[in-house]
Amino acid sequence: MSESILKRHGSEAAIALAVVLCLLPLLGMDMTTYLTLTIAGVAMGMMIFLVASGMSLIFGLMDVINFAHGVCFAWGAYVAFSVFNHFENLVAADSLLANFTVFLMAVVAALIVVGIVGIIMERVLVRKVYGSHLFQILITFGGMVVLRELIKIVWGPNDEVMAIPLKFQGSWNIFDIIILKYPIYAILLGLVVFMIIQLVLKQTKLGKIVRAGVEDPDMVQAMGHNIFLMFTGVFAVGAALAAVGGVAMAIFSIQVYPDMGDAYLIFAFIVVIIGGLGSITGSLVGALIVGLSYNYVAYLLPPVAVGVNILIMVIILLIKPTGLFAAGK
Amino acid sequence: MTEQTPVQVFRKHEKMGRFTSPFFYLKLAILTAFVITPFLFPSFKSLDLAYKIMIFAVLVASFDILLGYTGILSFGHVMFFGIGAYSVALLLGKFAEPTYGFLFLGFVIAILVTMALALLISFLSLRVQAIFFAMVTLAIAEFAIILATKLSSFTGGEDGLIMSTPGIFKVSFNMGTFMGVDITGRIITYYFTLVICLILFLSMVRFIQSPLGRVMQAIRDNEPRAEAIGYKTFVFKATSICFGCLVSTILGGLYVMWVGYANPESVLGVPIMLDVLLMVIIGGMGTLYGALAGAAFLRLAYTFLPDLQNLAQDLMPNLHFVHSIMERWLLIFGILFILVVFFFPKGIIGTIQNYLKQRKTA
Repeated sequence: MSESILKRHGSEAAIALAVVLCLLPLLGMDMTTYLTLTIAGVAMGMMIFLVASGMSLIFGLMDVINFAHGVCFAWGAYVAFSVFNHFENLVAADSLLANFTVFLMAVVAALIVVGIVGIIMERVLVRKVYGSHLFQILITFGGMVVLRELIKIVWGPNDEVMAIPLKFQGSWNIFDIIILKYPIYAILLGLVVFMIIQLVLKQTKLGKIVRAGVEDPDMVQAMGHNIFLMFTGVFAVGAALAAVGGVAMAIFSIQVYPDMGDAYLIFAFIVVIIGGLGSITGSLVGALIVGLSYNYVAYLLPPVAVGVNILIMVIILLIKPTGLFAAGK
Repeated sequence: MTEQTPVQVFRKHEKMGRFTSPFFYLKLAILTAFVITPFLFPSFKSLDLAYKIMIFAVLVASFDILLGYTGILSFGHVMFFGIGAYSVALLLGKFAEPTYGFLFLGFVIAILVTMALALLISFLSLRVQAIFFAMVTLAIAEFAIILATKLSSFTGGEDGLIMSTPGIFKVSFNMGTFMGVDITGRIITYYFTLVICLILFLSMVRFIQSPLGRVMQAIRDNEPRAEAIGYKTFVFKATSICFGCLVSTILGGLYVMWVGYANPESVLGVPIMLDVLLMVIIGGMGTLYGALAGAAFLRLAYTFLPDLQNLAQDLMPNLHFVHSIMERWLLIFGILFILVVFFFPKGIIGTIQNYLKQRKTA
């Protein structure tokens, strides 16, 4: 009972914090800039959410912190880059259908490729070090280095310009407020993924088993479910989610480069610390807080943008060290 | 005389064997090798190699205090190295004249900043879970790199800072020839660093053998139990972190005195962090002397890998795939890192120690 009160209290605090953050910059900027920054911030928050939710899920279920998560993000971006290069005519086509087809193809390709990478990683690297945080961090850090160097071997070490589907470029003009198209699509993508995750976790039997696994893996195994198969699956899904974030980010920033995952790994860490390890809703709220604050501060004072995120993380660590929406453990 | 406890007997035995064990002479031989290197191999390349082995050995040992002796993984260790480097470089190269006073002041500022930051980080993240420490330090280290890159009016951005050292440490300084070798500022810097590194290393050896260090090893092995016995684990961990970071920051200052520049890539970046991790894993976690083995191995590899690469090119001129892999040293090191973690989690020195222990009992 007391736990549920704490949870409700935590979510109220989080919403209040988010609202305050949204309103704060109104003091110093005009409406158009404010809206642009807010949309960009929410879009960025959604991409961070895609990375952080996978990391949070992996940690919640199997107690593993995956330092290679950022590089899965970069892999997703590079797979999308290859798909876009291969289907140039679809990317350049002046039709929403063709553009969305190629976008979906990129997302599916990234899901499959990085999902397989995730399965290999779990089987080869992580499986042997369950239970020891220190070795998990070391091993996944090594995996990160290897995967990043593989990107440089496969796609080359330089920055590449990402092709953008034609209909994703440009903006809508609504009452003299210019709204870029792509961030809206990115926000929609993030929301769809959030709803799919919530649906699967809350409504299906598989989701029930995963949630039970978060609470008590030994008991789930005792009930006759193959927990290790589940571990592999969740690890692959988590990595694949990060890859979807990478696809979205590659189009958003119009470029891909081998180190692009590093910054998002840091964002994901900040988000899971703010939101609470193992909670999907916490990841969403945390990602929105990080995305919005980053964009506002980057507009006002560019060099300290990440600093503000770290400051928020520090404050949350001081007030509620387990994060705003701590999971069952 | 009162009856002695087993611990006292053990200590006495250890003390008596201190100067007769073969390891004592091995250590002395290694030290002698460092002392005579400038006279045996006066070329800059070998001197540079010896200097970097020295710096990295002590840096890795200080990292080992955290990782191997307290069980804390910090990704911010290189950041403190960078703080020391930048502090000295800023004072000598940007805001003040290169004099002894400012050199000293540079170290003092670096130490103060490091202490404050280390205390802050440990206060924030040690209260929660141990893994938070790795995440928080990685985030802060990344922020430090961003700051160093973006605040270009202060830190020189990507290009970094160039500085020159004062008086007798100056590269152009020359006080004549001794045994056929010019005693230049470089040689003096080398010996100055050797002395400081020796002091730091011995103080670390003393640190881990002190009662304080024993408690830390107890925390590493079983934290709840150490807490139950009555030790405030937080205080001990924070002490260990502060001590390790202090050593790291001093080394950063010494390093920049040798190379003469500080930029984000050379003193703050992820590649150095990976180097340090590799060295500590190869040498052996929880064995201070392993740091020396790991540092020597990796620095030697760095020095001779280009030769190896050329050799591979000569032997197999048509295999471009092999070349593209050879060009990516980090890939090889990453795979090596994973393999060592899997198959030799104790590293070189740890494996040897195990072997000797088994032979003794058998």
